[in-house]
Amino acid sequence: MKKECVGSFILLWLSIALLTIPARPQETAGIFEQPLLITSAGQNAEVQIAAVLAKRAGLNYTLSKQATAADLENMKTLVIVLGASLKGLGAAGLDMGKERERVMALITAAQKTQVPLLCLHLGGEVRRGRQTDDLIAEVLPLAKMVIVVKSGNGDRFFTKLCQPKNIPLIEVEKTADVQIPLQKAFK
Amino acid sequence: MSKHRNHRAAGLVCLALCAASLLAPSCQRPREIISRPPANRHTPYSYVGRRAMVVAAHPLAVKAGLEMLRRGGNAVDGAIATAAALNAAEPFASGIGGGGFMIIHLAREKRTTVVNFREKAPHLASPRMFKDKGEKEKEWRASSGLAVAVPGALAGWDLALRKYGKRTLAEALAGAIAIAEQGFAVSPTFSSINRDEYERLVKNLPEGSCYLNAGLPYEPGDRFRNPDLARTLRLIASSGVKEFYQGEIGRKLVAAVQAKGGIMTSEDLASYKALELEPLQGSYKDVTILTAPPPASGGLHLIQFLNVIERWPVRTWGQNSVPYVHHLSEALRFIFADRERYLGDPDFVSVPVHWLISRDYAAGIVSRVRDDRPLESYPFGEYKQEEKDAANTTHLCVLDRDGNIVALTQSINDFFGTGIVPEGTGFLLNDHMDDFAADEQSVNAPGPGHRPMSSMGPLILFRSGRPFLALGSPGGPRIFSSLTQIVLNVTEFGMGLDEAIEAPRFFSFSSGGKPGPIAVEARFPGEVLTALRAMGQEVEVREAYDKYFGGAQGIMVLRDKKIVLGGADSRRDGVGAGY
Repeated sequence: MKKECVGSFILLWLSIALLTIPARPQETAGIFEQPLLITSAGQNAEVQIAAVLAKRAGLNYTLSKQATAADLENMKTLVIVLGASLKGLGAAGLDMGKERERVMALITAAQKTQVPLLCLHLGGEVRRGRQTDDLIAEVLPLAKMVIVVKSGNGDRFFTKLCQPKNIPLIEVEKTADVQIPLQKAFK
Repeated sequence: MSKHRNHRAAGLVCLALCAASLLAPSCQRPREIISRPPANRHTPYSYVGRRAMVVAAHPLAVKAGLEMLRRGGNAVDGAIATAAALNAAEPFASGIGGGGFMIIHLAREKRTTVVNFREKAPHLASPRMFKDKGEKEKEWRASSGLAVAVPGALAGWDLALRKYGKRTLAEALAGAIAIAEQGFAVSPTFSSINRDEYERLVKNLPEGSCYLNAGLPYEPGDRFRNPDLARTLRLIASSGVKEFYQGEIGRKLVAAVQAKGGIMTSEDLASYKALELEPLQGSYKDVTILTAPPPASGGLHLIQFLNVIERWPVRTWGQNSVPYVHHLSEALRFIFADRERYLGDPDFVSVPVHWLISRDYAAGIVSRVRDDRPLESYPFGEYKQEEKDAANTTHLCVLDRDGNIVALTQSINDFFGTGIVPEGTGFLLNDHMDDFAADEQSVNAPGPGHRPMSSMGPLILFRSGRPFLALGSPGGPRIFSSLTQIVLNVTEFGMGLDEAIEAPRFFSFSSGGKPGPIAVEARFPGEVLTALRAMGQEVEVREAYDKYFGGAQGIMVLRDKKIVLGGADSRRDGVGAGY
């Protein structure tokens, strides 16, 4: 009984100690190279906003809403804007199954050619939901960095996915605020 | 008036006071009943009044309408004040760059009439005008100058006011001008729609346009102001609608349309006339339905749908039960086949309205529906599923102290219309040319001066000759299906008005004779969806409260209780207020 108590105490102490060790600051500046390919996962409208923010940030980008592996040629970074839109999927003649296949094939191709992945979620709370979350859960662990509009991470969904993989996660208040960390992220 | 504030306790107190006041002698001036909705916007909540009520898709528009009623305006004055205010407060859904339909019940005369202010095609329109654009057809139909039909809103508002109102157009526009000038905090609904339509807006809006916030979509809480619209409306208020149809505003409108590849001319604009029509009449059991006739199709199909449903034991089946959803979806598929085949502008094509709404015709549909599985084909016509699923448009209802009622549906078609704004005017132009059929042989093909078929269907329902429910909704081709479900929720399932509006909805259609999926809100029980799938139905689950299914507004008159109820849809920003 006494041994069990001591064991539990040590385990508890170790847990607390591990939690309180300051994490190594995560690098979020100058970690990606240009040019970048911007696409969406879920045919959301925010992909267009991401392109405008990239333009304002002075980045050399190409926007392709339904990008495939072929579009990765000469690209040094893949930017995926996360969020499922039934409207967008309908307009593109896609369903979530086909969209998932496209996105995962694109990421696989990017990994093969060592093109890193930057994920954005710009739609806030309203661009969450089961379909979006399922896709995010699959894509996010493969990212090198993530930028989200804060209201979309109210339940710490992104935090919970990023922390175990030590993926840098930047939260911003408003969509327009994404421009600065986006700019800084690129060399 | 916002549904987001938590004043449940205050609301209960106010309702208790209201009940007490009903017991007291009612000889004093009517007092406003301050309705405080619950914190959860989706919780069914009926706004309560004793004699008058306004319901619409934005609190500021409701306020403008109610102010008009308080100042002695009648339901028509209140409706036009609300409609104009929606142009300022909900500019993405309707406005003077668009059109619509209104149904007016005049209590003293015991008469109901319809004003058709649907847009018209320019005189250079032709059946192949979009087809000839080849691969770019879709773009031309929705976001170019060619997509813009001649707007009818101002002509319709003006006609209604001059004939049935007590106030001037200038008075009716005052609320809208104030909203446009002072602005308001953008709601999550506004923000999400602004973001969804961003691509089109970026394409067509000039730099610095108020419809984007420094070039990006508005976020909830951002302030939206439209001083250009305020100036435009002030000019119309002082010079009349001729300023829009024949004056400087009109010239800017035509220039903007032509600059984006459109064919509208000053003559098209100058010759636009709103029409007054006899309402279309149908019935469901003891309820008489009056609605807008073609080219509005919503009311006609609602009557057709209810004729079919009347032959089924829906009350026994239960609301949103497996047989209910299955049978109604099957009926919808037949109706959509008819819609594509027969509906067009009755000024130019023969629409077999009375045949379609006959009970014999309904019996034919009933006999074809199988109890156990979907059919393989629905052979009456071909409804092309819209690739876009916008739930644009807006609806309002107004009841005045004399019992006059207006149900008004208006639109600029897609949210933010074409995204084209005539220089310095602040109003968005419609893309209602997209409501014409793609098939050049269709009865609804574009043609000079034709009005495109509309899905709108403002309704007034009567029992024993007296109006008891005014209703309408946006939602494109889903309008009549959603309105039918609300009517059934009230008449068959005993729901209160807002409970009926908020209840989970479904929709289906047929395309090329083949069944489309049954779209359902995520609140449907899993076992119902499992059973429908087991019958062979394809089911598509959407959001729990999805504006795809519309944003209905209604007013119910409870004569026995001497109160009126307002119901407003939480799928958008619907609210109500009464006194």
